[in-house]
Amino acid sequence: MAALNSSISTVREDRIMKRVFLSPAVVILLALSIFPLLWSLGISFTDMQRGGSTIARQAASEGITEGVGFLGMGFELTGRNYQRLLVDGRLHSTVRNTMIYVFVGVTIQYVIGLGLATVLNQPFRGRNIVRVIFLMPMMMTPVAAAYTGRMFFDSNALRSPLAHFLRQFSKAIGLEQAISAPWFTDIGWAPIAILIIDAWQWIPFMTLILLAGMQAIPDDIYEAARVDGANVLQIFWRVTVPILLPISLTVILIRGLEIFKIIDVVVVTTGGGPGSATESLTLYIFEQALSNGNYGYASAIAYVLLILVIIFATIFLTVGRRSIRGSAERGD
Amino acid sequence: MRTRGRRLLRRSSRRPLWQSGILYAVVIFWCFIVLFPFYWLATTSVKRPIDVSRGPNYIPYVDFQPIPDHWEEMFGSQRESTQRHFRNSLVSAIGSTILSVVIGAMAGYGLSRFRYYWGRLGWDNDNIAFWIISQRFLPPAIFIVPFVLLYNALSLIDTYGGLIIAYTMFNIPFAVWIMRDFFNGLPVDLEESARVDGATSWGAFMRIVLPLSAPGLVAVAIFSFIFAWNEYLFALMLTNFNAITMPVLIAGQNNTRGIEWWFISALTLMAVVPVIIMGLLLERFITRGLTAGAVKG
Repeated sequence: MAALNSSISTVREDRIMKRVFLSPAVVILLALSIFPLLWSLGISFTDMQRGGSTIARQAASEGITEGVGFLGMGFELTGRNYQRLLVDGRLHSTVRNTMIYVFVGVTIQYVIGLGLATVLNQPFRGRNIVRVIFLMPMMMTPVAAAYTGRMFFDSNALRSPLAHFLRQFSKAIGLEQAISAPWFTDIGWAPIAILIIDAWQWIPFMTLILLAGMQAIPDDIYEAARVDGANVLQIFWRVTVPILLPISLTVILIRGLEIFKIIDVVVVTTGGGPGSATESLTLYIFEQALSNGNYGYASAIAYVLLILVIIFATIFLTVGRRSIRGSAERGD
Repeated sequence: MRTRGRRLLRRSSRRPLWQSGILYAVVIFWCFIVLFPFYWLATTSVKRPIDVSRGPNYIPYVDFQPIPDHWEEMFGSQRESTQRHFRNSLVSAIGSTILSVVIGAMAGYGLSRFRYYWGRLGWDNDNIAFWIISQRFLPPAIFIVPFVLLYNALSLIDTYGGLIIAYTMFNIPFAVWIMRDFFNGLPVDLEESARVDGATSWGAFMRIVLPLSAPGLVAVAIFSFIFAWNEYLFALMLTNFNAITMPVLIAGQNNTRGIEWWFISALTLMAVVPVIIMGLLLERFITRGLTAGAVKG
């Protein structure tokens, strides 16, 4: 009887406790993530600006001070922000830049990361130390990485070790003119410099996770392939790459979504310039919101970014799931 | 351990010499790529300004005479500023780390051990977990305007509390994800026997589960700390004087003093080295945390 009672009370207690365990996280996310998300959507349909709306300002200039423009009240509802999205050339170039950062960046980082992981997967002396060294860039503040990158890609060849190296290198191979690049001042080169800085910082992330995936592949599979007479390249393409497909998709998705947020490296290296050739969407939103105080328009752009992120993630998850299922059906 | 070592030796001895050559070349090359920027920061921070601008000088005492001036400046005339920003970073990072670990462990435990079902959407544990991790990938730029309005209304702008709350929000999804994964790998027998002995589920969690999950907790703590320490956008947006953190201070060097590479290098090392040392000491936890969600899909 006592046991029965206690089990009933345990069940009831569990019913309460399971809510206690989960709710702090859910409440915080609802309050600080979902609520601002919806609020932002609302703001994107108003003409809200810092210090009041356009109506409030007009009213103030006409001497009316009552009942206008306080915290979301007294703002005109408008679809103008969304119309403006269509004709804003700077926005279009920031969308293009962001897409370049995401797709080119992820591709470079994945390919080099996979290569390095393949190398590190071979047994060799000092592998643990190398793995530790690989962690270092990931822990660096992106702002700091960007400053360091600026020293290397400095257009002043005297200061930059990279330029120095290229000068010596071109002298050594007998070029008349030294190889150099106008890194941060040229529309074509500036995004490349930013891509390189981001890659320097995050290739190790790709490498370490892909390496963990490779180390989870049992040796027998490789032995079997070798017995069947496959050479190293065949083993890599037919065995390693397909087995790594799910984990590859995961890291690519994670990195892609992270690069959508890029701002620190851009701010420190080029500030978005020259023109808006390197400006990312996040930076543009920040400028509109905090420098210009266009809260309404900034929120509309933020929703463009959100939709891009959702499309990216959805396509990726759908394609990913299908290709994983496909490779499973082929019986790899 | 010994068999593994023997296998390792056998395999590496079977490898032709040229393959070993390529292997070591690649490894050394990449280590150089990773380490040289740190070396460059370190040397630049002890160069005279003229040594910086007159051309690349690589080796101290050979190419240039190192001076401690910039470090002295940082801890001397700039001491107040350095100290304040360092403290701000430390307080907001530690505060949000503690909160993220506690809340993340609780939610991760709940998702791992209880069955939830939210009938209205037909959501079970997996859906909830996916929803939580998906919050991690929302671009923070979306929150800029509402956060500024909200923080203004609650006078949280430029306070530790404000930064801690924001960073906790960003860290929770990953914390929950890692901890759930960790608890899923922990056998339930111990808790069950504790429950039979009359412990409540909270008691079992506190006294049996948490002590066993130190590795997972450490992983979550490192990730939360590093994220909060390095974060830039929200620190820039939600602070204006008192609570400015190291990344904002470093990024601001550009505007306020002109580009003094030597001083920036010292400041950067000051911001980066403590985190890196901590990370290197706890390396195995990081690798474990990184692979928690990803490897298992």
